[in-house]
Amino acid sequence: FHQTVLVDKTPLPDSIPKVSEVGATSAPLMSVSFFIGDRCAPYNDDYMLCKHEAGGKGEMECLKEGRRVTRCAISVVDDINKHCLNEFRAHWECLDNNNQQLWNCRKEEKPLNDCVFKSLGLRKIIPDTPKGRVPIHEQAFQRFK
Amino acid sequence: MPVPFEALIPYAIMIGMFGVSGAGLSLLRNYTNDWKRPRRSLDQWDRVMMDRDARLTGSLRGQSANPRAPPGFELSSTWKIEERII
Repeated sequence: FHQTVLVDKTPLPDSIPKVSEVGATSAPLMSVSFFIGDRCAPYNDDYMLCKHEAGGKGEMECLKEGRRVTRCAISVVDDINKHCLNEFRAHWECLDNNNQQLWNCRKEEKPLNDCVFKSLGLRKIIPDTPKGRVPIHEQAFQRFK
Repeated sequence: MPVPFEALIPYAIMIGMFGVSGAGLSLLRNYTNDWKRPRRSLDQWDRVMMDRDARLTGSLRGQSANPRAPPGFELSSTWKIEERII
């Protein structure tokens, strides 16, 4: 298929407040994703509700919620860089080497979770785990290594 | 009776050729992946994320943990278009 690429260089109008984008690439973002989910749950839910009410097409109406989501995610990455840099770097380098699969890097994940909980109070929670079942990242026995 | 080493030279050539090409291919694969293990089972999400990584850092496997993107990043996203003749 013959394909070309279009890059649109016109910036947004000045009436829209400027927010910088999240600068983390895929491996650090995967590593930090559950902490973003913990801190930014209200903003993310707001944005998803706005898009849902607009029928999946509300790009202009949901800009404000989108800015809040971006600012919150930037704050989480910033805080983790400030407080837990070594554990964070070990974890995302392990993820980068292992095809970005979380089950490969449980050994580096435990110190990162402890450090983030101690300094920022954010805990990794997997939504919709059935009650009475230990989440997979806290189980002692690991079937696949 | 000494070993007829001339008879084993073709085997050495074959092993050498296979070895050199295999080592060269492995070197090339590692070099293009920035000396990390290659990624596998990539779906559309992973390919789009790797595209974004390339826009942020300059290589498909490059990573950075900065909280804020560099200033030109918002305007560098690509739209794939197909040129029509008619």
